[in-house]
Amino acid sequence: MAGRNGNVFIVCSSSARAGVSTTARLLTDYRLFSRKPVVGFDTDPHEPRYGAFFPDLVTTVDVGDIKGQIALFDSLLARDGTTKIVDVWHRGFQRFFATVQDIGFVEEARRNGIEPILLFHADASEAALASAQSLNATWPELPMVVVHNEGARPLGPDAADILRRYPAKHKFVVSALPGPVANILDDPSLSLWRFLHAPPTNMSIVVRAALKSWIVPIFTQFKSFELRRDLEASDYLR
Amino acid sequence: MTRKPLRDPRNLSSNKAEEAREQPAPQYTAQEAGRNMKPSVIIIGADKGGVGKTTIARAVLDYLANNNVITRAFDTENPRGTLHRFHPEETEIVDLTSTADQMKIIDTLETAQIKVSVIDVRAGGLSIALQALHDMGFLDAVKEGEFNFVVFHVLGSSISSLEEIEEIAPYVEDAQYFLVKNHVNDTTFFEWDPVTHRKYFEKVQTAGELTIPKLNEIAYEQVEIAGTPFSTFVADKTAEGDHAGHSFVLRGYVRTWQNKIAEEFDRVGLLGLVAPLAPRAPAVTPGRPGKAGRER
Repeated sequence: MAGRNGNVFIVCSSSARAGVSTTARLLTDYRLFSRKPVVGFDTDPHEPRYGAFFPDLVTTVDVGDIKGQIALFDSLLARDGTTKIVDVWHRGFQRFFATVQDIGFVEEARRNGIEPILLFHADASEAALASAQSLNATWPELPMVVVHNEGARPLGPDAADILRRYPAKHKFVVSALPGPVANILDDPSLSLWRFLHAPPTNMSIVVRAALKSWIVPIFTQFKSFELRRDLEASDYLR
Repeated sequence: MTRKPLRDPRNLSSNKAEEAREQPAPQYTAQEAGRNMKPSVIIIGADKGGVGKTTIARAVLDYLANNNVITRAFDTENPRGTLHRFHPEETEIVDLTSTADQMKIIDTLETAQIKVSVIDVRAGGLSIALQALHDMGFLDAVKEGEFNFVVFHVLGSSISSLEEIEEIAPYVEDAQYFLVKNHVNDTTFFEWDPVTHRKYFEKVQTAGELTIPKLNEIAYEQVEIAGTPFSTFVADKTAEGDHAGHSFVLRGYVRTWQNKIAEEFDRVGLLGLVAPLAPRAPAVTPGRPGKAGRER
C-alpha cells in the first residue's frame, strides 16, 4: 500500500465493545489470505483477544509501561515492508495516543516511509465522535477510516448521518453475523484465511455459506482500500 | 556592597529580562554574532546537593548549541566533573577557589572567541562561588555593564532551599537571577506552601522562575549510560558520531522534554540575555537534532 516501507494500521475506539479486535483480526486474516507479510500488537495486557487468534504473529504489549512502549513503537518503525496492525484497547486509548504524541511517532513514521492509518470504530455516542475529531485535529494529515461494525455497535437508521459526521475519507462496514454463526468466530482455532482457502469439512454447510458471505465483502473493502491507496501514491497518475 | 531597594515581589520580571523577551532577534551569522556580543557568564548552582544542577547545565548547553550560540563550560566538580563527562569538548574542570582557575575563566572573558561561558557549580558551592566572583571584582564589572551575568539557582523541595535564596540575594542584585524548580527527578516541592513561599521570595529580586519538567526515568537513565549530550542521544548518535541504535521511544521522550525546556528558556528570554545577535533555531523535531547533535 502507500507507505513505501509499510503501513501501520491503528485499530481503535474510545468505547468498549466497538468491534476493534474483530477488525484487527479480519485485517490480519486478509493479509495472510493475500500472502503478504503482517504482524500485530495487542495492547490489552489482561485479556488479549486479538493476540489469542494469532499467537505466532501478535505480540501483547502494555502501553502503560515504558518497556511495552519500546516493544511496540520501536517495532512499528522497522522499515521492513511488513504491515503492522495495532489493536488499541479502549481502556488504553488515551494513554496510547498521549504516547504517540509525546514521542512524535506519526512524524517519525512518515520520515521512515511508514504510513500510519487510523481505523476508528464509530458508535452513536458524542464521546466517540469527539475522540475522532480530537485525533483529526491533532494529526490532520493522518488518514482515518471510520469503521461501522453493525454487529457490535449498530447505528440504526441514522447510520449514514452519524458516519458522515466523522472526519474520515473512507469507510469500512463489518456486517452483523447471525448469532449461532457469530459464536463460531470466538473459537481461537478458527482461522478465517484458512477457512477461505479450504473450509473445514466438518463445518455445517449453512455456517460455511454464512461465514463466507460475511468475510468476502469485508476482504473486498480491504482490497479496494489497498488499491485506492496504491493508485493515490502512484507517480504515473498524478 | 551597596544594596538596592527590593522590587515588588508580585512583579518578578526585571526590566532587562522583559526587554530581552520583547526584542525580536536580528539575523546575523554565528561569526558576526560572536564578534559583536558582550561576554556572558551563566552560573548554575545550588547549596543543596541532588537537585539536578548538572542536568540543568546540560540542558542549557544543548539549548544554546541548538540556537547556534557557541559556548564554553566550566565544571567545578573537581577533580571528576559530571558535566565534563557529557560535554567533554567544551568543558574544562576547574576549582573556583583557585586563583589560577579564576584567571582562566574571568580574565579570558573579553579575549576568548567564545562569548558565553557556562559554569556548573558543584553541590554546596554556590555561595562560595558567588563570594569568589565578588572578591575578584567580577560582580562590580557586571554592575558596570561589562558582562552579562545570569544565575540559575536550582531549588530543592525543602525549606533549606528557600533559605539559600536569602543567602544568595546580596550577590545577584545585578544579575539576571532565575529560580529553577527542577522536576526532572519527580520533585514535588511539597513543603512550599504559599505563605512560606512568599516570605522567602519577597527577600530577593528575580528575573523569573523556570520549571524543568519531569523526564521519564528510563529515558534519563539511558542518556546517563550513553554519556552524551541530550541532543546527541535524540539524534541517535554515539559520542564519536556513529549510529547508536537507541530506542525511538526513549529518544522521543527526551526530545519532547528538551522542547519543553526550550519553551521555558524562550519564555524567560535567555537568548536575548546572553546572545541577542545569535540566529535562532526552530524546536528540535524528530530525527532533526540541533547543532549539538549533528556535530557529534
